[in-house]
Amino acid sequence: MESASRFLAPVANLLLGASMLCAICVLPGTASAAGTAVGTLIENTASVDFTQLGVQQSTNSNTVSFVVAERIDVVVTLRSGQVAVLPGATAQALLFTVTNTGNGTEAVGLAIDSLLVGDDFDPIPALPDSIFFDTDNSGDFNVGDVAYAAGVNDPVLAADESIDVLLVNDIPGTVADGNLARSELRATAATGSGAPGTVFAGQGDAGVDAVIGTTGATAAVFGEYVVDDVTINIVKSQVVSDPMGGTEPVVGATISYTISVEVVSAGTAAAATINDVIPTWSTFVPNSITLNGTTFTDATDGDAGEYDLTGAPAVVVRLGDLTQADGLQSIVFQVTIE
Amino acid sequence: MKLTTGIALLLLSFTAVAQSHLDVQTTVQKEVVFENAAGEEETRLVQADRVMPGEKVIYTITFTNVSDENADNVVITNPLAKDLLYVEGSATGEGMDIQFSANDGEIFAAAAELTVTENGETRPAKAEDFTHVRWVMRNDLAAGAQGIARFAAILE
Repeated sequence: MESASRFLAPVANLLLGASMLCAICVLPGTASAAGTAVGTLIENTASVDFTQLGVQQSTNSNTVSFVVAERIDVVVTLRSGQVAVLPGATAQALLFTVTNTGNGTEAVGLAIDSLLVGDDFDPIPALPDSIFFDTDNSGDFNVGDVAYAAGVNDPVLAADESIDVLLVNDIPGTVADGNLARSELRATAATGSGAPGTVFAGQGDAGVDAVIGTTGATAAVFGEYVVDDVTINIVKSQVVSDPMGGTEPVVGATISYTISVEVVSAGTAAAATINDVIPTWSTFVPNSITLNGTTFTDATDGDAGEYDLTGAPAVVVRLGDLTQADGLQSIVFQVTIE
Repeated sequence: MKLTTGIALLLLSFTAVAQSHLDVQTTVQKEVVFENAAGEEETRLVQADRVMPGEKVIYTITFTNVSDENADNVVITNPLAKDLLYVEGSATGEGMDIQFSANDGEIFAAAAELTVTENGETRPAKAEDFTHVRWVMRNDLAAGAQGIARFAAILE
């Protein structure tokens, strides 16, 4: 009997532990960045231990509970930087992400506004559709991207879920280099929006109350287009030197190529890079690349040029952000005829 | 063997009667800010039936000695639901020492003395580590007397 009770003691402790855990059991809760899931039942029971007339006793309180309401919150973030466009360009896309930061599932309505103040011109929303889902997840506007139609395919986002959205605009032909244009994406929860704290009784997931969160359940962010109407002149020339001191393009002759690059308009050619694939019948002359007389090593290293063998053998020179003020840039390299 | 069983039954029935000598009631409330008749903002505690993530709830435990005998060694224990974060410094109870557990009720200690061991490293416990709140009465709870223990938590 004694040994049996000794054996039983740890089991009793274990059961006590389990019942204490049960006092905090929560169904069907899953916390996330958006918060505890809608409809989760949060229960609370206190217990009191005490001694009376030398007898140790314990009693539990009633169990109080509440249900987690739905908090409706929507956030829009701009994903693209300033998008460089040419005058008259069509179907120029800005990339956004719409995120449901509430704790329930929400349908979200989308709207475009390209008539914003604070810019130089208004881009023209593309026809027939100007809002697209980035269906192929490329970050760019492509043929496969599905058009958004309000009330028809409003994205339905679970708590913490997000979706990438493209605004597609055309650029008027009359704009000048450096002009800025803004286009805004607005996302609004379908259940409702407005002052934080506004209650939509019974309209949350599974019929719980829905309450507008701090975002007001609507968000708008604009992206920018910048007209980059830069004219660049690029001229490539060659000088042949044959082994006999002449200029005949025979086997063993060296060809010295010169690529002249010059911005001849206002504006900036951002991160201008020259990539010139050498002829298949030629062999690159090592360490022959120069820019304005400065020699670059062939390796891909710290300098602005290299002989790139990752694809078809090519000479690559990075000229940086080029403007008219930089003047003529002269790239020279040599190959021999095989 | 039969005799032993009889004694056990007697003890059991005694315990069952004794359990009703303390009455314990819990409520859960939240703060609601509203505008009163004078147009001023006023905060009122209301029954919490609709709570959103990020909101604060206040639990009140009222315990009454409904017997004719004093109760001593009175300890109130409240496990925190897993989606609730204890609000630092919110627990109150007149004439009571307040303790916490950060390991599902295995060890209780004052907030400043509690530690948590994570990946072999021991650090002071933070409010968000707490799994239980406990109030230890310094004196007896006299017959007919009442005590109130309170704490607040944020819904994750």
